Amino acid sequence: MSGQSKKKPFKIEAYKHRVEVDPKYADRTWAVIEHAINEIYNHNASGLSFEELYRNAYNMVLYKFGERQYNGLVSTVTRHLRDMGKAIESAQGSFLDELNRKWSDHTKSMQMIRDVLMYMDRTYIPTNHKTPVYELGLNLWRDHIIHSAKIQTRLVDMLLEQIHRERMGEVINRGLMRSVTKMLTELGSSVYQEVFEKSFLDVSASFYSGESQQYIEVYNCSNYLRMAEKRINEEVERVSHYLDSKTEPKITAVVEKELVETHMHRLVHMENSGLIPMLVGNMYEDLNCMYNLFKRVPSGLNLIKDVMASHLKETGKQLVTDPDRLKDPVDFIQRLLDMREKYNEIITKSFHNDKAFQNALNASFEYFININNRSPEFISLFVDDALRKGVKGASDDDVDQVLDRVLVLFRYLQEKDVFEKYYKQHLAKRLLSAKSVSEEAERGMILKLKTECGYQFTSKLEGMFNDIKTSQDTMLGFYNSPYGNDMADMPAITVQILTTGSWPTQNINTCILPAEIVIVCEKFKAYYLGTHNGRRLTWQTNMGHADLKATFGKGQKHELNVSTYQMCVLMLFNSADRLTYREIEQATDIPGPDLKRCLQSLACVRGKNVLRKEPMSRDISEDDAFLFNDKFTSKLVKVKIGTVVAQKETEPEKMETRQRVEEDRKPQIEAAIVRVMKSRRVLDHNSIVTEVTNQLQARFLPNPVVIKKRIESLIEREFLERDKADRRLYRYMA
Amino acid sequence: MRRSSNRKSSAAAGSGSTKAASKEFEKIDHLFNVYADKSSAIIDPEGIEQLCSSLEVDYTDVRILMLAWKMKAQKQGFFTLEEWRTGLKALRADSISKLKKALPELVKEVSRPTDFLDFYSYAFRYCLTEDKQKCIDIESACQLLSLVLGTQFGPQVDKFTEYLKSQSEYKVMNMDQWMGFYRFCNEIPFPSLENYDSDLAWPLILDNFVEWFRENQK
Repeated sequence: MSGQSKKKPFKIEAYKHRVEVDPKYADRTWAVIEHAINEIYNHNASGLSFEELYRNAYNMVLYKFGERQYNGLVSTVTRHLRDMGKAIESAQGSFLDELNRKWSDHTKSMQMIRDVLMYMDRTYIPTNHKTPVYELGLNLWRDHIIHSAKIQTRLVDMLLEQIHRERMGEVINRGLMRSVTKMLTELGSSVYQEVFEKSFLDVSASFYSGESQQYIEVYNCSNYLRMAEKRINEEVERVSHYLDSKTEPKITAVVEKELVETHMHRLVHMENSGLIPMLVGNMYEDLNCMYNLFKRVPSGLNLIKDVMASHLKETGKQLVTDPDRLKDPVDFIQRLLDMREKYNEIITKSFHNDKAFQNALNASFEYFININNRSPEFISLFVDDALRKGVKGASDDDVDQVLDRVLVLFRYLQEKDVFEKYYKQHLAKRLLSAKSVSEEAERGMILKLKTECGYQFTSKLEGMFNDIKTSQDTMLGFYNSPYGNDMADMPAITVQILTTGSWPTQNINTCILPAEIVIVCEKFKAYYLGTHNGRRLTWQTNMGHADLKATFGKGQKHELNVSTYQMCVLMLFNSADRLTYREIEQATDIPGPDLKRCLQSLACVRGKNVLRKEPMSRDISEDDAFLFNDKFTSKLVKVKIGTVVAQKETEPEKMETRQRVEEDRKPQIEAAIVRVMKSRRVLDHNSIVTEVTNQLQARFLPNPVVIKKRIESLIEREFLERDKADRRLYRYMA
Repeated sequence: MRRSSNRKSSAAAGSGSTKAASKEFEKIDHLFNVYADKSSAIIDPEGIEQLCSSLEVDYTDVRILMLAWKMKAQKQGFFTLEEWRTGLKALRADSISKLKKALPELVKEVSRPTDFLDFYSYAFRYCLTEDKQKCIDIESACQLLSLVLGTQFGPQVDKFTEYLKSQSEYKVMNMDQWMGFYRFCNEIPFPSLENYDSDLAWPLILDNFVEWFRENQK
């Protein structure tokens, strides 16, 4: 036909309309979609054709009506939301339920709508920086429903009311709660927080604050703690069931603060049920509960630790300063050991072996054990007792364990050198009277001390052991030699040769020995000096013991085990029946105090009185006379009379030992000062004191005043000088 | 310009220095012999006593000690010829009247801080009469302190000597403690003693003194 006619070409196009700028097109198309939206909201979606709607929506965007569509969407949804809002507002008993249902409807509808408008979602919306459809739906819901004044307050109140009921023990609909909170989170975490969480936390705080006030008045500590624990667990569980997980730390913090932190001090110090009664009563579970709870709040554990430490210090201090306790050193130490065990148990069982608590325990012990300056002596006496008698019915391992525990106490001592002095003394007595239960145990103890304090500490002790061993060999040699060969009629002698440096210093007292003994001694001496040139032997008559065969009035024979001094005294009675004190003194040349002690043990002790004293008083005076006690009886054939046992020192002895210790310390301090100055050359006073203290602290804690005195002495002897320019400095003089 | 000393020395060229020296010291030596012991040719304690009365100064006056210091005298109570010459030459005195006039100058000189420090330590050493002696007994130390520091640091000296006499731990004082006390007077305000820190290297005797002083204040 003619091509110039404006006839529409006859085309059949299946799925595409002409691009027409037909304003009515937009209205028509939009009407379709709007209608669809309404139907969706009215639960009538089944009658709709997804394909058709999608196409319409697609076209709207294609023909540049995206904005129209978008705005339409907004207004339509808003309209529906308004209706929904009214319905929710008017809900009576089932407000939350209604809200939840409407929410469900809305989200489902929005999903469908989004699917329909997907093309716009993917093209128009991003290009024009508009909110995507589903998100838009959420925002609209948020703005028109949630933030609606009437709804928001009621929503929050209802939620909180339900939670409160549950806290008071009622069962509530957790599923519903879950859905509602989920809704809020989906609307945005700030919505959840602003609308719900903030109020939740505030209300919870006042709830628990009130509850804690109430319970703190009536409950005792352990019940309160369990209540608190229960509440915390409840809240955790609550969150897991129907709150957002991010709320958990916040709500637990609130509960911890209100229930625990606010009343921390009151709980700990509660009379009759607080921390101290728990410690005293070994209430492991309660203590564990307290530990776990207090761990949650700042400085909770520190509070427990500090109260425990000060209680320990108090109790310990009382123990070590109690005059009654000081009478029995072994018991004293045993109590300390028990105390330490007890708290060790508590820390292990209830405090998860927390290191900070271990340290507090150690610090407390260190504090009070050093308050009593006899602690070193007592510890040594305890060990002495254990090594003499053995620990009652204990195996080797048990003894080992006991010694390990004692070593723990030893570590706390500041004056380890004092301990060393006493240990040496006591060891010497044990070795010489052959009184240790087990050499293994003795050696074991020395090894422990060596590991603890180093070789220097124990080298002398080991020397003592060696001397004993060597002496045994020497004795064999003696009896095999010509000197010792023909001693059939003479008393048998066993000699312990002690190297002077290793054994505790003794004043050399010689007394007059019985003639028979002298002969034997000379023989031995000749033998020994023959094989060891250049040595000097001195008989230590204040030690040693003898076995005497004695025959009494009715012919009873007994074997008496006595000390050397006692032997000298008794042998005199072979040639005289009666002797005065003065005669004995002259004949034996035994020093006064020793002689008195000796005579007392021979004459004044029941069951051991091989001598009779005139007058029969208890104390020995220099005018007394002594007679051989013919009528002596004893059930035992072998009678032991007064061996030298390690005893707690008397006051004057204690002073003497302490003085010796002080004297020994002076050169050690000076050596340390010189060592420090040699390497540092120039140093100020404080630094010297610090360094010297560091160097010596393994043995003892030096007194700063003594250090200063030693420095001045060194200045006088020209080892050090004051710096000429700055007189606060000391200078090493090479 | 003719200078008399030059003329004298040039005229006596041969035995120049000694003659000049002896000329120079002629009056001084002459003065020396007035007080010296004839046999030992040294001024002994008796001679010093006479000297003091000539100078109208007390035997125990600190100015005599200052004189000894100027002379660098070695032995307490004695002046040798050398020492006499040294001292009087330095003071530019060759007669008693000149010597008397020189004394105030001497006092002023000694009070200058650097000179005083030297004088102060000299005073201690002067009292060490024995060969190897390193300390002086407390009694003498107290007297010496009053003499030497009495005017300058009266209150401190009084209190310190009081302390020294009341305690029994220290029976002698050594040079270190002596010097320490002077430093103490200079550095520590008295009687507040506010910046005294026993952790600094003060001699122990001063630590004890401060403690005693503070105890007695209460």
